[in-house]
Order: sequence, then C-alpha cells, then structure tokens
Amino acid sequence: MRISVVVIFMVYCALFLSGCKKTEVAPVPGLQVVTTLFPLYDFARTIAGDKAQVTMLLPPGVEPHTFEPKPEEMIRIGRAGLFIYTSKYMEPWAEKIISGIESKTLRVVNAGERASYRTASGQDEHSHDRKGMDPHIWLDFSNASLMVDTILAGFVAADPGNGTLYRQNAEALKVQLAALDQRYRSSLSTCSTRKLLHGGHYTFGYLAGRYNLDYYALSGLSSDAEPSAERMIALVREIKTSGIRYLFAEELLSPRLTETLAKEAGVGVLMLHGAHNVSRDDLSRSVSFFDLMERNLEQLQKGLSCRAK
Amino acid sequence: MNLLEILSYGFIQRALLAGTLIALLCSVLGVFLVLRRLSLIGDGLAHVTFGSTAIALALKFYSVMSLLVTMPIVLLASLGILKLTEKGRLSGDAAIGLVSALGISAGIILASVGGGYNVDLLSYLFGNILSIRSEEVVIAALLCLGVMLMLTLYYHELFAISFSDELAKVSGIHTSFINALLVLLTALSVVLAMKLVGIMLISSLLIVPAAGALQLARGFKVCIMLAAVQGCSSVLIGIIVSIMANLPASATIVLVNLLFFAAACTIRRFIYPAHSN
Repeated sequence: MRISVVVIFMVYCALFLSGCKKTEVAPVPGLQVVTTLFPLYDFARTIAGDKAQVTMLLPPGVEPHTFEPKPEEMIRIGRAGLFIYTSKYMEPWAEKIISGIESKTLRVVNAGERASYRTASGQDEHSHDRKGMDPHIWLDFSNASLMVDTILAGFVAADPGNGTLYRQNAEALKVQLAALDQRYRSSLSTCSTRKLLHGGHYTFGYLAGRYNLDYYALSGLSSDAEPSAERMIALVREIKTSGIRYLFAEELLSPRLTETLAKEAGVGVLMLHGAHNVSRDDLSRSVSFFDLMERNLEQLQKGLSCRAK
Repeated sequence: MNLLEILSYGFIQRALLAGTLIALLCSVLGVFLVLRRLSLIGDGLAHVTFGSTAIALALKFYSVMSLLVTMPIVLLASLGILKLTEKGRLSGDAAIGLVSALGISAGIILASVGGGYNVDLLSYLFGNILSIRSEEVVIAALLCLGVMLMLTLYYHELFAISFSDELAKVSGIHTSFINALLVLLTALSVVLAMKLVGIMLISSLLIVPAAGALQLARGFKVCIMLAAVQGCSSVLIGIIVSIMANLPASATIVLVNLLFFAAACTIRRFIYPAHSN
C-alpha cells in the first residue's frame, strides 16, 4: 500500500516537472499569433511572412465545435500578441477562453466581424432546422477578403513596425482571392446543372450563394444532427428526377450516409472541403487554403458537368 | 408518401431487416444483463471503444482493420468489469463507470498526444440505422445467429446465474465461465452493432425491452419472448413512424420503446393489482 502511494507521488512529481519544463520555453522573438481555424491560420501566416510566428489552435481532423484547449495552449494564448477567431457562431468557446486570460498585451481579432452573414434556414421549404447563422463565411471569397482586411488591421495594430510588409502581403493575398473568385465564376457559369446536392450537414451555402447554385444539404447546421428518412428519400428522388450524376460529401467526415444515398440513387460521390480544419497529412504537406479551394473547384466542375476551360 | 413506395428504398429495407436482427439480439441479451445489474454495460463498452479506436488510429489501423485493435481491448474491458464486480467489492454500475471513465479519458489523451487525426473520429465511430450497407446486414445476421445459438446452448446456466450466483455455484455450474461468456457476447455485440446503428440505440435496446418485459412476465422464457417482441416491434414501428412524421429514426425507435415500457407498467396495474406498489 505504502509503495503504491510513493509511486503515485513520484509519477505526480515527474508529470509536474515535465509540465513545467515544457511551458518554460524561451520567448521567441517577433509577434506571436494564435489562430483558431484553418482559413485564419493560412491567411495569418501569409500576412505574417517571416515577421511573426503563427500557430493554429485546433488539432488536425478535429471538429471545431467541440474543441477544448490544453493548459499549455492557454499559456501560449496568454503570451501571444494576437488571437484571431472567426465568429461566435463558429467557435462559441473562443470568447470563453479569452475571458479567462489575463493579458494586457493580447489583442483579440474577431475576423468575421465585417463579413456578411447568411442564415442556413433559407435552404428549402422542407427545412425545419434550427434557424441560425451559417458560420462557414470564408467559403464566400468576398467575405474571405474582408476577413483578410480585419486580420491585417490586427497585425498592424499589434506590430506597427512591420506594417508596410503586412500590408503588402495582405494585398497580394486579396489579389489571389479575387483571381480565385473569378476562376470559380467563369468555370461554374458553364455547368449543365446548377443543383449542388450534399449528403451531409449544411456547409456550402456561401459557395452556392455566390455562384448561383441551388444548394440542398441532407441535414442542418449542427454536425451531429441525424437526418430523417423523409429527407433522405427526398434527396434520392431529387437526384433521380434531376438526372444529376454526383452527390457531394464533406472531407474529414465519414461519407457513410452519402455513400448509402449515392448507391441508392445510382450516382457517384465527390468530396468537397469545408476548410475549417485539415487532415494531419494535409497539414504536414502544408497545403494552403487555395490548394483546398482549387481541389473543390475540380470536384465541382466534375460533379456539375461544367465545360472544361 | 405511401408505405409501399417507402419500402422500395434499399436503405429502408436494410434498416428494417438489420434493425430487427440487432433488436432481437440486444433485447434477449438485455434480459440477462438487467437481471445481473449490468444494464449500463453498453454505454461503458462504447466509451472503451472510443478509447481503443484512438489507439487503433495511432497505430494507423483504419476502418475495418481498426476492429483488430478495438475488439480485443473491448473484450478485455468487459472481463475487467466482471473482475471488478467479483474481486473489487464493487457493484456492477460502479465497475462499469470505472472502466468507462478509463476508456473515455484514455481516448481524449491519446487524441491530444497523437497530434490530431486525418478524419473526425466521432463521425466514424458510430453508425446510423439508415446507412447500413448490404454486407453489414450479413454481419448482423451472423452475429444474431451466433449469439442466439450460444444463449440457447447455455440457457440453463445463464438462467441460474441471473437469479443467484451462489445458488448456481452450489448446483455445480461454472459460474465464472458463464459470467465471462455473457459479458464477452455482450462486448462482441456492442462493438459490431454500434458501428451499424449507433450507441444510443444499442444502449436503449439492451435496457428498455428487458425492463418492459420484466413488468409483465411471470416466467423467464415468457420474459425473454416479450422482450424480443418489444425490441423488434419498436424498431419496425419506430422506423415507419419516423418516416411518416419526418423525425430522426434512432431517437424515434427509442421513444417507441419507452412507450411500450409505459404501456407495460400500466397493463401490470390491471392484471396484477395486488402486486403493484
């Protein structure tokens, strides 16, 4: 009995010491930036160039709604100069984290504050889903551009010395976003169908809205809601009557339900990326937001039978 | 939408078929588990599956291959629950709670240490009764057949331990073997069936039909049959109602099941007025 007490005590000491060692990292020079989701991380690291160090809070592959930060991450946020999150709709936990941190130097950026929001309930008359703001604002590239402006303002305020460089990088990023928007617009204008059918939860409303696609998702905004059989049947019918050849599923989530429906209707499954997070493999290959969006465009062109350019 | 048209959809047919098989399996097993005070073992083992799936992903075992890692761990965990009740002076609920806490905390720590995943773990862990594949109907049938066979073979021994371990031991039954058999069959069923229909449905199908049948039944065999009837009909009715009323299927099945239980309680008051209260 006594031995086990000693062992437990030693384990505690070891954990305590290793914990301390880990957090006692020497401060890195330059502005420290902590971001929550992938689009913010990617935009922020482009704006930062080599003048600031940007990290992403969300571990790869994890659902953003259910995230819980580790103590070390709380310390990292406390020491950072800039904390960037998307909105209270996307990361309800972000405001709670910030209110728990006592730091005079930390500047908090709500990247989505200037974006124009859409409600997800406008999808169709069958929907009785919870009315709510669709938080996937970055999938509308004009919103993404506004997010870049907001993030830039945060950078310049936190580190005015490198303001010129940040402005240049942000400008280049916005040019790239505008070009991407133009490519989407011209490619998707040639499609033989405008119906974007998604066998998952409501994600791509902004994308569909911007390029005049009719978006129909199997279930509402909440990623853990279960779709009803009636909606599943309605979707299968819709595929059959409209002669669509592909049903879309969202990357990172299990495509089971989508595959079941696609099989039922005799069509293929294509993957679209919501980009709020990336897989561990993608992160280690350091893919960019633009890579993901180019991938999406290819899938959309195939799925909606658009003319190749 | 008429019923005939609804039934023409493959995924509805598979849900009705595989759902009934799993309901039969769970409700019969449930009678033994509820009497042994192990009702919550389904939830407990689901948490262990969560933890062991994290191990499987860390070892790069994906999809079906992950069962190679999760299955042995969950089987061991079920034996662990049994050992805790026998040797650890713990009741069944505390033992299940202990193992379940271990499973979920291990899963969360591993997820954090492993530096994230390539997929959203939870969305892969639990199935949905409306997305059962053809080959999974076969798995459900084989599982149901196998467990029913074992339960029939050891019916008398299981019957004995359900009421008194001591009495069973005295009458020459290898109680530790029979107990182990029961929890192992449960673990096997929970892991496989959870992938098909999700944990909420499994957990409730283990408890509610047995609880309903125990209100009415006077004999053990009748109790098992009543539980089976309640479990299977709640799946069939639940699916049909969920389509008609545009509701999520699993939750509707659980509610129908609870209505059956409430009905059983009411009926009990009429046919056994002396025994109620």
